[in-house]
Amino acid sequence: MTSPATITISTTAAAVEVTGLSKHFGSVRALQDVTLSVPAGNLTAVMGENGAGKSTLMKILAGLDSPTTGTVRVNGDEVRRFDPANLLSRHRVALVPQELALAQDRTVAENIMLGVEPGSRPFPHRRRIDERAAELLDRLAVRIDPRRSVRDLDAATQQLVVIARSLAREARLMILDEPTSILSPAESERLFEVIHSLRAAGVTMLYVSHRMPEVFALSQHIHVLRDGRHVGHWPTAEVSPDTVVAAMVGRELAAEFARHDTPAPAATATPRLRTRGICGTGFTDVDLDVAPGEVVGVAGLPDSGRIELLRGIFGADPISGGELQLDGKTFTARTPRDAIDARVAYLPGERRQQGILPTMSVADNVNILTLGRRQRFGLLRRRALRRDADKRAGELRVKTSSTAQGITQLSGGNQQKALLARWLSIEPRLMLLDEPTRGVDVGAKAEIYRLFRSLADAGVAILVSSSDLPELLTISDRIAVMAAGRVVGVIPASEATEEKVMALATGAHTMKEKA
Amino acid sequence: MVQMTAPAAAPKAPAAESRPSLFQRFLHAREASTFLALVVLFALGTLIAPGFLGANNFLTVGQQIAQIGIMAIGVTFVIINAEIDLSVGSIYGLGAVVAGLLMTSDVAWPLAALGGIAAGAVAGLLNGLMTVGFGIPSFIVTLGTLSVYRGVTLLLSGGSPISLSSSDPNVAEFNLLGQGKLFGLLPMQLVIFALVAVLGAIVLSRSRYGFNTYAVGGSAEAARLCGINTARVKITAFTLSGTLAGLAGVLGLSFLSYVQGVTGTGMELVAISAVIIGGAALFGGSGTMLGTVIGVAFIGVLQNILNLRGISSFWQTVATGGVIILAVAADNWLRRRSGRR
Repeated sequence: MTSPATITISTTAAAVEVTGLSKHFGSVRALQDVTLSVPAGNLTAVMGENGAGKSTLMKILAGLDSPTTGTVRVNGDEVRRFDPANLLSRHRVALVPQELALAQDRTVAENIMLGVEPGSRPFPHRRRIDERAAELLDRLAVRIDPRRSVRDLDAATQQLVVIARSLAREARLMILDEPTSILSPAESERLFEVIHSLRAAGVTMLYVSHRMPEVFALSQHIHVLRDGRHVGHWPTAEVSPDTVVAAMVGRELAAEFARHDTPAPAATATPRLRTRGICGTGFTDVDLDVAPGEVVGVAGLPDSGRIELLRGIFGADPISGGELQLDGKTFTARTPRDAIDARVAYLPGERRQQGILPTMSVADNVNILTLGRRQRFGLLRRRALRRDADKRAGELRVKTSSTAQGITQLSGGNQQKALLARWLSIEPRLMLLDEPTRGVDVGAKAEIYRLFRSLADAGVAILVSSSDLPELLTISDRIAVMAAGRVVGVIPASEATEEKVMALATGAHTMKEKA
Repeated sequence: MVQMTAPAAAPKAPAAESRPSLFQRFLHAREASTFLALVVLFALGTLIAPGFLGANNFLTVGQQIAQIGIMAIGVTFVIINAEIDLSVGSIYGLGAVVAGLLMTSDVAWPLAALGGIAAGAVAGLLNGLMTVGFGIPSFIVTLGTLSVYRGVTLLLSGGSPISLSSSDPNVAEFNLLGQGKLFGLLPMQLVIFALVAVLGAIVLSRSRYGFNTYAVGGSAEAARLCGINTARVKITAFTLSGTLAGLAGVLGLSFLSYVQGVTGTGMELVAISAVIIGGAALFGGSGTMLGTVIGVAFIGVLQNILNLRGISSFWQTVATGGVIILAVAADNWLRRRSGRR
């Protein structure tokens, strides 16, 4: 691997120069001394695992966040005020975010031209808006009727509208943040064509992704971030996917999870969880076994049904058919209460909306499942509860000044540890985990992985769904891959690779061929 | 952010070291700003309102705020649940009219009082069932029942006022609820309010139901995934709110010996204001009984000062509304300054 410091690309003028950029959130260092340049007219990919700092970097470049130290120059002009309006109007930088923000009840044209409408201010010229929008869509070779309401469009088409909107504001640098994460393979192809048109139009692009094939197909340069640091930079033509993956994962972390050497649990033993042909909203006919002490990963695109499968097993959403067994006995959770009573735990992927109780203390968040044990004459024994919480939070090393602190004051990783402490309080025999390290910094991530391993060694069965493939490859004994609501393959950890899983998950092999 | 730079350690140790002083804890309590505002108002009253300082005046204020206070206790449960109950003023009228009709039909006063309270409980239960069952916002449901219950109250009263004759011994005993004084000193209404407030505070801060109320109000989905029956928690809160509004109505009837179909109109806004001034957030999940009691006292003292100054009740209405906006704005500002949510 070449050291990033020695590489200079100077054939074209750099559109963006990032120098010594750091961003700290309290004690969390999201970015540390990142220096990189993005040449004009190119597509530069920024890669890294979840939590590597990609999003923070993009947010700063789009003006949604300001750096703690360091400078950003766009075409030599230093950015002094980090707010989106300034970056767009003065520096011509636009972000195409993962979560699209469009006015749903307005037309495509109105959304594209919002704020830059032709015609006099209070009364924009409706026909010229439509014409101008149609012209922009034409330039992108996208066929959408500008008069359609945005609400009627699918997410992929809405994304194209956002791109056209950036073009209407004459953006010269477009930041695409994991643009294919919400797209099907066919939709991705369409996006790639639009990206080619953008390049032809002379737009510089920053492309954030952790999908290898598309990055290799589209980019001219690849930068890798890990743990908030810039750890590698290559012209795409001169590097192999393996080298990039090695830089993304980092040997230290990988070595730490040398797979445990207990033999795979015998297939004849009664599995902790057995599903036969279960169906529900978003998944169909799922057969899956998880043995005590086994970690089974569920991989798949976000719409593959893996999230819904976990919710179904837990009783958060209804199951419409099939049979579920827990330790050989029929088990149906009609509500989460049933699952909790059977000592089944569920860590939701949307921590902020579904995990934490945001107005309550760390202690209350940890104790909520065991209040019944600490009651006297119908009243809660606050002091005993406090001791419980201190003990549980201490065991998982939740960093907090006191468990009386509000849970929202903790970092993402510590919130997640507090939620794990909550679920461990019921001594679960089966744990259903959705995106267990989303928004968790690397240090806490390693601790959480170790915790899963020790729980499994103690006989807990773990079913974990994640969009983070390196994570699944690291922690799972077997990986079940889902696509379109079905399990399309189960791969033992020893044979699983990111490419194999991805090929199954996408159903088609189009991406792979591109690479 | 300050906490995050503290060295990592087991949670116990640093807690012992940096235990905040009582004063610091007071400043960070949600009730602090409301309480300070009440103190300021108190000082103002002492300065500008003749006869403000005095046991008699305070007991009068206590008498005046008791009914609103009892309603506000119930509304607190609803608001912490991230819901709203706009119908409590109508339920107040309903409870009063039902009790009044039972009294004029010579029903023994304890039964008549219970009848009024039960009417409130049923009305609250219906609010809860409709909110949860139809899955529509309680703002809409109770905006509807605000009108429905008022209509029922008017129908029941037949449009004519109900007067209780104090020569009837049954009525005389009933009137002790609203007019009597404990030990010949403390207004009975104030005693009942205090009892309800203490019970409400214990339920909210010490019972599992109270815990679940904060959980559901903070994040209903997270609470559901922790096995809490969120529907039951919310329905219970609406039922509590209705029951207490019914009780307040019964006390109102007992105080005046008189009720008509429109009695209680607009009281819901005062009760909700008291809860908001007391620091509960309309987003749910936060608020305390102590806060609500301070909020109720604040409104009571404000009106008392204006009364003593001989300011017209029209202006009092204006002032109460202005204070709500000021209180929430000040609270917001203070919390942003101290970096706390």
